[in-house]
Parts: sequence; C-alpha cells; structure tokens
Amino acid sequence: MRRALLALALIALPVPPARGQQAIAGTAVIVVGQEPNVPVPTVGTGRANADAADLLFLRLARPGADLRTSGDRGFQPELARNWSRRDSLTLAFELDPRARWHDGTPVTARDVVFTFGRARDARVDAQKALLLRYVAEVRAEGARTVVVRFTRPYSEQLYDAVWHAPPLPAHLLDSIPPERLAASAFVQRPVGNGPYRWGRREAGRSLELSADPGFFLGRPGIGRIVVLLARDPEAQLNLLLDGTADILDNVTPASNVPRLASRPELRVVPVPTFTVGYLLFNQRAYGDRAAAHPILADADIRRALAMALDRDALVRATFGDFSTVAEGPVAQLHWIRDPGERAARYDRAAAGALLAARGWRDSDGDGVLDRNGQPLSLRLNYPAPSAPRAMIAQLVQEQLRGLGVRIELVRLDGPVWAERRGKGEFDLDFSSASMDPSPAGLVQSWSCAGRSGSNVAQYCNPQVDSLMERAITGHGDVRRLWREAIRAVNHDAPAVFVFAPANAMALHRRFTSTLIRPEGWWSGLWRWRIAPGQQLPRDAARPTS
Amino acid sequence: MRWLAGRTLQALLTFLVSVLLLFVLMRLTPGDPLARLEGDSQLSVEETAALRERFGLDQPLAAQLSAFLRGAARGDLGVSIGHYPEQVTSLVGARLPATLLLGGTVLLLNFTLGTWLGVLQARRRGSALDRWLSRLSLAGYAMPSFWLGMILISMVSVEWQLLPAAQMRDPLIAPDAPWATRWLDVARHLVLPAVTLAIVTIAGTMRYQRTAMLQALRQDYVRAARARGLTERRVIWGHAWRNALFPMLTLFGLWLPILVAGSVFVESIFNWPGLGALTAEAVATRDYPVLMGTAMLTSALVILGGLVTDVGYFLLDPRVREP
Repeated sequence: MRRALLALALIALPVPPARGQQAIAGTAVIVVGQEPNVPVPTVGTGRANADAADLLFLRLARPGADLRTSGDRGFQPELARNWSRRDSLTLAFELDPRARWHDGTPVTARDVVFTFGRARDARVDAQKALLLRYVAEVRAEGARTVVVRFTRPYSEQLYDAVWHAPPLPAHLLDSIPPERLAASAFVQRPVGNGPYRWGRREAGRSLELSADPGFFLGRPGIGRIVVLLARDPEAQLNLLLDGTADILDNVTPASNVPRLASRPELRVVPVPTFTVGYLLFNQRAYGDRAAAHPILADADIRRALAMALDRDALVRATFGDFSTVAEGPVAQLHWIRDPGERAARYDRAAAGALLAARGWRDSDGDGVLDRNGQPLSLRLNYPAPSAPRAMIAQLVQEQLRGLGVRIELVRLDGPVWAERRGKGEFDLDFSSASMDPSPAGLVQSWSCAGRSGSNVAQYCNPQVDSLMERAITGHGDVRRLWREAIRAVNHDAPAVFVFAPANAMALHRRFTSTLIRPEGWWSGLWRWRIAPGQQLPRDAARPTS
Repeated sequence: MRWLAGRTLQALLTFLVSVLLLFVLMRLTPGDPLARLEGDSQLSVEETAALRERFGLDQPLAAQLSAFLRGAARGDLGVSIGHYPEQVTSLVGARLPATLLLGGTVLLLNFTLGTWLGVLQARRRGSALDRWLSRLSLAGYAMPSFWLGMILISMVSVEWQLLPAAQMRDPLIAPDAPWATRWLDVARHLVLPAVTLAIVTIAGTMRYQRTAMLQALRQDYVRAARARGLTERRVIWGHAWRNALFPMLTLFGLWLPILVAGSVFVESIFNWPGLGALTAEAVATRDYPVLMGTAMLTSALVILGGLVTDVGYFLLDPRVREP
C-alpha cells in the first residue's frame, strides 16, 4: 500500500524540464480547434492551415490597417519591397533582396511565377483558380522583378496579386508534379520564408514552430510557437485554466468568458471577424426550385418577419458583448461597411400591420395567422453543432410566436443540414458566412449568377447585380457603389442579418506588443514580446528542433 | 483443431459481412460530406464536382464498394475527406497507441481491482464493507463519465493543479528527452482519464465477480477443501475463485472492444488523442473513409472478443469440448 502511495505521489509530481531545452526567447502555446495538418498555401484548406501558413509563408504584401482591398494604396509590403502600376492592366513588383527561404536560398521572381502557375491551375486548386481568373500572365523580369498582367481593369487587381497565392519555393517544388504535392515530403516539413520555421508535428496533437532569428523584417519576439489541438471547447478552456496553454483565439460558449477573465494571469479581448450569421429566406418552394415559395416569395412578408425580430436582444442574449447586430451581408471588418446602414428596424406593430395588409389574420383563433386556410408556418433549419445558432433559433421561434407566426425548428446534423441547404429543402435556414477581406465574394451568395452555386435561396435582383459588377470593375469611389448594393439587398430582405461576431480571444498577460491583425492574427505574432520579469518556466525552454 | 478452424472461419465471414453492411449503411445515412464544404466555403459547382471526383463520391455505390475492397485488400483504406491528404491508415495508426494505452489501462484496472473487490464482497457478504462497496460501485456506474471527468478536472487539475487537465503528453517535452521523463509525463496525463473510465465501468466487473464467487462458495468442492483443512486463502483463490472465473471470461470478451472503441466523451474532455475522438469527428463530418477504418477496427475487436471467449471456454471447460 505504501509503495502504491509512493508511486501515485511520484506521478503527481511535476515533470522536470528535460535536458537540452534551455530557452532563447520564450514560448507561446496556442490552443486550436482544427488541426493545421497542411499549412502550405495552395495545398492546405481551411482556417487552421491558413493561420499556421501565416507564420511560415509571407505574401507579397497585405492590406493595411483599414483592410481596404480596393485600389493600390495602403497595402503593407512583405516579400515585395515596392510595386508600381505600368498601366491599367499591369502591376510590377520588386522583391525584397533580403528575403530568404528557411534553407537559405533567396526568394526570387521565379518562385512567384511558379506559385501563380500552380495556383491558377484548376486541377491543383479550383477555388484559387477561380479567384485568380482575371490574371492573364505572371512573368519574371530578372531575379527580383515580377510583372502581373490582368485580363481587364478592376479595382482589386493588387489585392488579387498579393493575397491569394503566397509564394512557394520553386527550387524545392518544381520537380514535384502538382497532383503529388499534397502527399509530398515538403508538405510534411514545409520550407517557408516567414518569421517561423517548421519544427515538428505530431498528427492529431500538436505542431511546433521555431523563430527564424534571421527573419529579414525583424527578429521575432517569441522563440517558439506550440500549437495544441483540442476540439472540445471544454478541453480548450481547461488547457488555459491549468496553465498548459497561453492563447485561445475564441472562447466558446461566451458564458465561459467571465470565468477566464477573472483569472489574474489572463485577459480576454474582442477580435472582430469577417463572419455574418443570418436567417435566409428561401425564395423558392421547399425542395422545388421551379416554383415560387408560397409565403416567402413576397418581399413584404420577408420584411415583416425581419422587423418582428428584436435582433439586439437575440445577439446580446447569445454573445454578450462579443458580437454586434449585422446590418446587411457585410461583416464588421469589411471596409465597405456603412456604420449608418440599418437593415430592418425592430418594429413589432409595423410588422403585424404589414402582415395584416397582406391578408394574414388569425381567423380561427388558434394563435397562428392564416390566409385562405393556410397557416403562417415555416420550417427553420439549423446545424446542431452550432451552439449560438441553436440558441438564437429558439429565441426567434419565441419572438415570432408572439406575432402569430409558427416556426418549426429543424435541428440537423452538420452534413444533413448542409445537404438540405444545397437542395433548397428549407423555408428558413440559419446560415453563417466567413468571408475574406474582399467584398467581391458577396457576388456568390447575393447575385443572380450565384443561383447555380452558393445562392441557395435563389435570391435575384438585377439591380443589385449591376451595382456589384460596377463596384468590382469600377475605379474611384467604389465604396459608394458597394454600399448602394448593400442597401438594395437590405431593401429586398432576402435574409434577416442577425449577428456579426467578434471572437473572444483569451491570452496570457505576460505578452506585450500584442498586435492582433483581425484578418489573420497569427501573421502579427512575430511582433509579440514577453514582458521582462514575467517569464514562465516554459519560456526558458529552447526550441527542440 | 477442426473446431478452432471452423470457429475462425466463421469469425472471418462475420467480419466480411459486417464490413459490407457498414459500407452500405454509411452511404445510406443522410448527409453529404462535401455539402458541408459547400455551405461553409461557398464552393462553386465545378469545385464541388472536382472534390467529388477526388474522393470517388461521383461513382455508383457498387463501384465505390469495389474500389474500397480492392484497396482494403492491399491495406489501403483510402484518403480522409476531413483530413485531406492524410491516409486513413496513418490517421488510425497515429491514434491507435493512445487508445490502446487508455483502454488497456482501464481494462487492467477494471479486471484486477474489480475482481479483487468482487471476491472481497463475496467473502464478506452482508457486512458493512459489502454494502458500502455495492453502493459506491453503483454510484460510480450511475455517474455519466463526462460529468465525472469534468468534476475531476475541476478539482484535481484546475483547483489543486496536481495533474494535467488534458492531452496525453506535455508538448514542451522534447522527443529525445530521457525515457523516464517521457514515461512519467504520459503516466501523469493518463491518471485522470483512466480513473474516470475505471470508476464508471468497474461496477459491472465487481457485481459479476461477486455473484460468481457467491455461487462458487456454495459448491461442495469448496466445502470439501475446507474440510481437508486448507487455509482460507487457498480455498478462496485456489479453488473457489478459479471456478468463478468463467463469467469473467465472458465479460472480458465483451469488454475487449473498449480497447479500440475507447470513450468518445472521455477522450474529448481530456483531449486524449485516440480513436474515440477521431470517430466522433468523422461521424460529425461524414468522413466515410475514416469512419470505415475505425468501424472496421472496432468490428474486428468485437468479433475477436467473441472468438477469444469461445476459445477460452474451450480450453478451460471440458464440458464445452464434449460433443
């Protein structure tokens, strides 16, 4: 028994740091919910891979602090030291001669040309090829100059040239056929040009990156980044609470925020996102795209339902202070967002009057409005894994009940929800879109052309299409055109735009200079520092690889 | 020998049928793995078609099944949809050791401690100790594992900071650290999930063992052993217990799949990187190749558990061998 107790006590003792792990410059442990299994641009997909790739690979440049993607101004140089416009179709970039791959080879124009070649190949990445469809040619002029020519003039040429295809090392990849790249040794151990270099990865568990002391834009302030995978929100929280981790980029559910904020070593900060959550109205009959929806094809009914919802209350009850009401299909961070724009204002009386004017009355006294014997009853599909959407759906049901609208909640497993959404098998669908900094993506969901793809509700207004097309291809004040388009969408009420959330990011207080770029906060991580005198034991550990 | 060959053949056939059923039933389940990508990433029709082709989902069911069986015969279970471009075999292989460690530890705790406590209860039938052990074990049995896990984490890890709350290893310990350091680290991480699962599963073993032992203690051969003047310890462990082991063999066969099936909830809460968590994720995303891989493994273990039990009875109980 005594021996057993001794063994238990031994196990409970903290493990001493192993030999050979003495620190050079600190450690940051980040908990993530999705695994960065392929953090290589043009190969890996998803947010987790993109975040980790931001530490390993630089872009030619990135949008400035206002995140404006239109025009040639405000962008911050990364691999490209500067750029110039030769004509309305041509941009020339001069690469920074100090830029090096982590194997010591200089970054050259050949790398950029090679990467665009791969990214524009639909067989390699159909999505990237679509985003780069207006790029006609990318060529090298010497070792340091890259010329990008476009097929037509438009306002986001520079953004498209610098954002979608961060350069890859041609000298390591040009011998690997595109179809073999995903399974290649390079993907298992990528060689990048960013502030951090590859350390080691344990599949399904963790990823370790170490700072590149020779990084040409400046010496990283944290010696190593350890990324821990924990899918369960409770496990993510516990890793912070027991001191294993330092950073969690989104505390969920929001009810856990006070628990973390009360810890003296942690602070919680809001980080706005490019996400919008909305209740989508199907303009076509349930599961039948040939027929108009018997209730929701009427724009007045859609407006009435939107006005009947107290979106402020819905958002406050679900997200606390970490979200705002969405005012249209644009997110908090989009540069085209109009702070003065208001989608349907909450006006219950007006909503009731509008429904009555359209002939909806409770003729049989059952508490549900009806017209010609048809009750005002709608099915609202939402994905079970999304706790915020589940909560808001119930509140929506309750709020509309008071108006005499019956909402049947249909809680669906993620893939089933997505399948039904794609087939148009819904009356209302609780959707959420995570976009990139460019508003051009709005075309996919809110244009007539998008009806064959993401525009699953079949919303179509040629006036909106025209405004968006002019905003994309125009020059000068395209922000005004975008805002007009958003106003036109809001007027049609194809959806109730509910929330534009900010992530509740928890991080250890010992970090200073915490630049958090909302379009990709990992990209600013190399500028973070650890406050002198506040190091933890793990900050004394040297990168292990 | 003929019996053993026949029984093994039967097990192989059962496995093959279960694989066919699993494949077909999974495809019949509503939910398209790529529809989820469409919804979130706003993919075009062409992009979705390209993905469908990549994973063979554009093929008829028979062609998909044929391709799967041909691949499986070569040991290739395909590429994961959710973890593209990782192979299913490498995904399962990477998580199997963690699950075997946790499952093996729980089985060991369950059968050593559970058996000993069951025998103890039987020997002291009706005593205060017997009653309290029954109450405690049933309380453990009635407790949801995820709830117990959360309580243990809250107290032991967060409040008292005695043991880690999650993970299987401290990621800051280098792979080339001394063996003892790494072993101790894994042991520290193993304690809470193993204890959680053992507490909620041990009641069954204790009850089985107690009942079997009580029956054995009433047998004539036990009375005879006592009459021959053997020590009580010898009577209990040398005569009664050996005969009370048969029900435990059945129980062991039933528990064997826990070695790979793991516990989804416990693995999730403790962020234990095992097959349970991988399976749960694959179910949520309809990652058919990964689901097939984990389901085949579990199915094989269930069938193997039955086979081991039958062979155990065959070897230990002469009555089974009688025609």
